[in-house]
Amino acid sequence: MMLFLHQLGLELRKLFGRKRTYIGFGAFLVIELLILVFCQMPGPQRGLRRQMEGLGYGADQYLSGLTMAFQMVSFTVFILGGLYLALVAGDVVAKEVEEKTMRMILCRPVSRIRVLAIKYIACVIYTFSLIGFIGGTAIAIGVAWKGTGGMFAFAPLEGIVAFYSFAEGLNRFLAGLAVLALMLTTVSTLGFGLSCFDMKPAAATIITLSYFFVDMIFRQIPYFQSIKAWFITSHMEWRQVFLPHIPIPQMIEDGAYLMGVNATIVVIAMAVFQQRNFKS
Amino acid sequence: MIRLEKISKTFNGKPALHSLSLKISRGEIFGLLGHNGAGKSTTFGIMLGQVHPDQGEAYIDGISVQKNRAEALAQAGAIFETPGFYDYLSGWKNLEIFTSYSGWVKKSEIAVAVETVGLTSRIRDSVRTYSHGMRQRLALAQALLPAPKVVLLDEPTEGLDPEGIHEIRTLIQRLNRERGLTVLLSSHLLSEVEQLCTRIAILNHGRLVFEGKWEDLESVNLRYRIHVNDVAHAELIAAKTQVRVLGDDVYEVLEGNDIADFVAALVWDGIKVRLVQKERPNLEALYLKAVAPAASSKPIDGLSLSVKP
Repeated sequence: MMLFLHQLGLELRKLFGRKRTYIGFGAFLVIELLILVFCQMPGPQRGLRRQMEGLGYGADQYLSGLTMAFQMVSFTVFILGGLYLALVAGDVVAKEVEEKTMRMILCRPVSRIRVLAIKYIACVIYTFSLIGFIGGTAIAIGVAWKGTGGMFAFAPLEGIVAFYSFAEGLNRFLAGLAVLALMLTTVSTLGFGLSCFDMKPAAATIITLSYFFVDMIFRQIPYFQSIKAWFITSHMEWRQVFLPHIPIPQMIEDGAYLMGVNATIVVIAMAVFQQRNFKS
Repeated sequence: MIRLEKISKTFNGKPALHSLSLKISRGEIFGLLGHNGAGKSTTFGIMLGQVHPDQGEAYIDGISVQKNRAEALAQAGAIFETPGFYDYLSGWKNLEIFTSYSGWVKKSEIAVAVETVGLTSRIRDSVRTYSHGMRQRLALAQALLPAPKVVLLDEPTEGLDPEGIHEIRTLIQRLNRERGLTVLLSSHLLSEVEQLCTRIAILNHGRLVFEGKWEDLESVNLRYRIHVNDVAHAELIAAKTQVRVLGDDVYEVLEGNDIADFVAALVWDGIKVRLVQKERPNLEALYLKAVAPAASSKPIDGLSLSVKP
């Protein structure tokens, strides 16, 4: 077990040793700042105030750091989250095969399953770290800019219009981040799984992104409403934690569905990887 | 130490290896020769469990790589033609990462391997700053960790300058001498094999066309350099005897004949013979002869080889 943790530590060192990793983190920070600046512009500011006041809440109290953080995370993850996770996860195995470091590892007395298990866990840890970073910086920037205050959670497509005190808002925000990270592991898992096939890293990333993009569009087409549950993105509604009454059974079901998908992808990926020939 | 038993492999319907069998003894430096696509890398891949054979098995120290890969590879280290590294990390960190997959390796062991390959002063630098020769030495250091009994070297001097080739060659010889390492070396650089290996095998289109000692190849060499005072006259005599003129004072005695008879004939005809010297065998020529039958189905001229089916 200690050796496994040592190997995992070195895998994470590899992952976080790349400059590209930090360029990505930097990109998220820039996007967050841009969203914050956008929310400060007179038009959007007026719109937010009008919504809050229309619902009978004081904009001065609820136009706070937490409200900004909620908006920043929602938009950042929508714009870049999937892309970046697919990019990193698609690299995890395929890039190592391409750069021939995988052959160097596989001439060691270690099973392929163990190598993949280490890489997959690193991938999941990376997903949580990224979401933690996005959430942490969103709160830090939001609170630094707008101070503490109540939270206004507004996501009309999911039917979320809710107001919370700072403490409750913060708890829900942190819970939301955890759920979001858990749900996004499915994006990482698909990227990782595809990168175990004999394909270029870019191909694994593009297929992953395309899949989720198509899945998201199709589930919103009325014709497919009857089979909506078959679309993976239907089970990735992390913002349900901001509903006044959190639908816990539904969220557990969604989580179980996604974990099932993840497990299936990992098993298929391992079986494929096990059968592959590695040769220069 | 290494045993391959009737290994066959096909890629996309194209045969890469045909029933290849080889035995390499403990402490031996064995050379695997062949042109590109001859099956050398496939052979290495199968020995390292990276390529699944269609038939046959590879054994390292009596342990089947196919049945018990981890145990078999615990005895082995390997480097490849173009070894891959995490360029953004230091040489030391790369060694830590690769060796971690072999179990716990002490830092002192890593330091010894680094010193052995002469990389101590640069080991903390990022690998992207390394020259090709330094990368090869780093690859060799990782192959030596942790204390293998066998090292498999796939084109270890590929792309190196003459100085780098000399360094690696000297290092391999030293490791074999001092640690008793069994070395399996693949190369298409014939001089490298000639200088390093005690026994060789030649692969052509996945078939073993020769296996044996270098001397076995050398003994079938029937070429001589002969200096005479009248070359034209000597060539006339050669035409009458079983000797072929190859030019540049080089003559080849056809199989079953003796050079002494030819020299006697020259002297008998009044030709002054100033030098008779057996040509130093050129492995490239012998190699080409060895692979010729498989490629063209013509009989081997002046060379008797154990051509395997």
